[in-house]
Amino acid sequence: MKELAGRLTALDPDAGAAVRVIAYFDRLAESRAGVEALVRGAAVLSGCPARLVDPERRVHVRVQPDGARQDTETPPDPTWPSARLSPNGPALLWLERGGGASEGAAGSGSGVAITEQDGATPSRADEEQGGAEPGGVVAEDAGAAPDRVDAEQEEAAPGRVIAMPTAAGPGMATAGHGGATPSRVASQQAEAAPGRVTTKQPGPAPSQVVAARAGTQPGAADSEPAAHSLSVVDAVILERAAAALRLVLDRTRGRAPADDPALVETLLDATAPEQARLYAARRLGLDLTAPARVLAPLGDRPRVVPAGAGVAGVAGSRPAPPEARLGVGPAVPVLDLPRSWTAARTALRFTAEGTPQDPGPRVVHADELGGIALLADLVVPGAEPPPDVRALEAAAATTPWLSATLHAVASTTSLRAAAAGINVHHSTLQDRLTHAEHLLGWPLRTPQGRLRLQLALAMRHLARP
Amino acid sequence: MTHVPPPFDPELAGALELIKDMISPGLTPDQIAEVRQGPGIELLAELDLTMGGTFVVEDRQVPGPQGEPDISLLICRPALPAAAGARPVIYHVHGGGMVIGNNRVGVDVPLAWARALDAVVVSVEYRLAPEHPHPAPVEDVYAGLLWTAEHAAELGADPERIVVAGASAGGGLCAALALLTRDRKGPRLIGQVLMCPMLDDRNDTPSTYQMAGLGVWDRTANETGWSALLGSRRGGPDVPAYAAPARAEDLTGLPPAFLDVGSAETFRDEVVAYASRIWQAGGVAELHVWPGGFHGFDGFAPQAALSQSARAAHVDWLRRLLNG
Repeated sequence: MKELAGRLTALDPDAGAAVRVIAYFDRLAESRAGVEALVRGAAVLSGCPARLVDPERRVHVRVQPDGARQDTETPPDPTWPSARLSPNGPALLWLERGGGASEGAAGSGSGVAITEQDGATPSRADEEQGGAEPGGVVAEDAGAAPDRVDAEQEEAAPGRVIAMPTAAGPGMATAGHGGATPSRVASQQAEAAPGRVTTKQPGPAPSQVVAARAGTQPGAADSEPAAHSLSVVDAVILERAAAALRLVLDRTRGRAPADDPALVETLLDATAPEQARLYAARRLGLDLTAPARVLAPLGDRPRVVPAGAGVAGVAGSRPAPPEARLGVGPAVPVLDLPRSWTAARTALRFTAEGTPQDPGPRVVHADELGGIALLADLVVPGAEPPPDVRALEAAAATTPWLSATLHAVASTTSLRAAAAGINVHHSTLQDRLTHAEHLLGWPLRTPQGRLRLQLALAMRHLARP
Repeated sequence: MTHVPPPFDPELAGALELIKDMISPGLTPDQIAEVRQGPGIELLAELDLTMGGTFVVEDRQVPGPQGEPDISLLICRPALPAAAGARPVIYHVHGGGMVIGNNRVGVDVPLAWARALDAVVVSVEYRLAPEHPHPAPVEDVYAGLLWTAEHAAELGADPERIVVAGASAGGGLCAALALLTRDRKGPRLIGQVLMCPMLDDRNDTPSTYQMAGLGVWDRTANETGWSALLGSRRGGPDVPAYAAPARAEDLTGLPPAFLDVGSAETFRDEVVAYASRIWQAGGVAELHVWPGGFHGFDGFAPQAALSQSARAAHVDWLRRLLNG
């Protein structure tokens, strides 16, 4: 009964639809809908193909507005609106909206949705658009180019998404049946280029939704500028879907990478069969063709990350205290990760707490150690340290400023810079160094002396139990 | 017994969220007039019945039941010449709880089948309750079927290959047609597609209680529809099987049936029971219970994964029936 009255299809581009979008994705999330259902929601509600690309987890899902899954090899067009699933992550949700060149290349996708509709009468959306130019649409990330919506950011303050004008027309009630071609509204959008949010000042000047009739002719060569402006509905769809997708992917595919200790252990075990390590890498969401590296946090499990990902972005996946010491292994092919792991652990031994008592870098990259790394084999943690280290320890025990001062001298290019670094007067530093040279028994202001100091400081870290 | 309902499929739960302002689970008698004027009916004029030129469409007035007014048939024939001889006919009966709708409602579904299977679609208009209680609807539907069988040649169709198909009230009427044509010895049907059919006026299965106030077409709406059709006879001892096929004592000798229903809807139990009784009577039936589906879900949310599966199942069954 009433089959036609409420058929779910692309929403009218009024801002009232945004509220329905939110309700829709909330309900999907509540019901624990899967990845494809969420991408399908974005496609159906926007009326254009939607695509999730998560290179880390190797997830590619593309759904057409009729709900059919249709993946493609064609890369996304960077001018399409998109939303990142998390601020620094590589995963993006795209709406294949507008865009020029690649539309044809995308094949069956957006092109079809538009052309199939030629017969339909596009009057409805036009009228609504013209008649009820929504007054107070306030989009989210108004900033400069609201192309990208950040799911995580958005979640932080879900309330402020939209102030929606209720003025708009009959809305969804009539989005009704699309028959076999449910993307009627989509085509209208494409043709009429409805509500583009260009700015959003909630202030006295009410935000403008500009009905940018991009080209005069619907079919005229898509001359969309590279930077699309984003309709309110699209923006909300992207943001809501991306937020929900992030949660689902975290839940179902793991917070890649490095979430499963057993898999990581296998991957980093040089004695494990290659097949087992490749399997583990895949399960961890690693791209087998791209380099990766191992991170060795102090007192925690190793983590494996794609070489491209910043260390910070990784830390986000499983929060580690920002002050944690970290050794960073070199970027290597996936099967060489045991080597990166060894190097990361070595690098970790060169880290310090970064406090006045234990000055030094908290994060050390194995790549940057060079020959210094060889010291790690010579100094056994917890064993009797070399004489210079013993001298350092003895001096530091009686002289509180010693460690910080020597680190400053060893890690800067001039004594003046060292003095500034520890907030003492240049002459005070000179006095301290005279005293330190006496305690240690070797000069600190000659090249040879500085080298010996640097080696002693490094070995002091290495000698820790 | 617990009345905890099965959960809706996630995508369908989202779809319900979208349509909840328009579709409420219940329908009371005083709302019938309003719903008849609702946006759904208006929209029907916009439906492209030719499906982009695939079909040639005509409305034909044909004789109604003896002594009753003419009825209207929507006839959609493929525009291209038939590939091989006379075409099968999908005789479509629309839904609407016996109280609303017209022969455009839901016809896009059989049209999509017909496009895939090179068939003729005939969709019948019937008089609605409560203005026209039983037997007006079913006799109108039967009269349209008679005309279709007798004039099949005119339509380039094969009178020996008529499948009746309908959703909701339309499904119930198709089940009644199967009984009627068996008992009246014609026209012979080769299949019946009963999509979430409305079969049982008693409105007292566990699923009717479980789904009260939820989804689409709940207990209250169901009572409204059946009472409109049957008046005070609803639920009583003397309801004829041609009004409520669940009342039929004898389900032998029926054409092969396809039945489907959502697990989260009022009609679940009566549809499952009807399929079981067909098997018990030695008949042929295929039953699908779509988990988490609400009433008419594939019509409301055709893009959902479950809807795609349901619609694929319809076509699969028809293809086996017609080509097998």
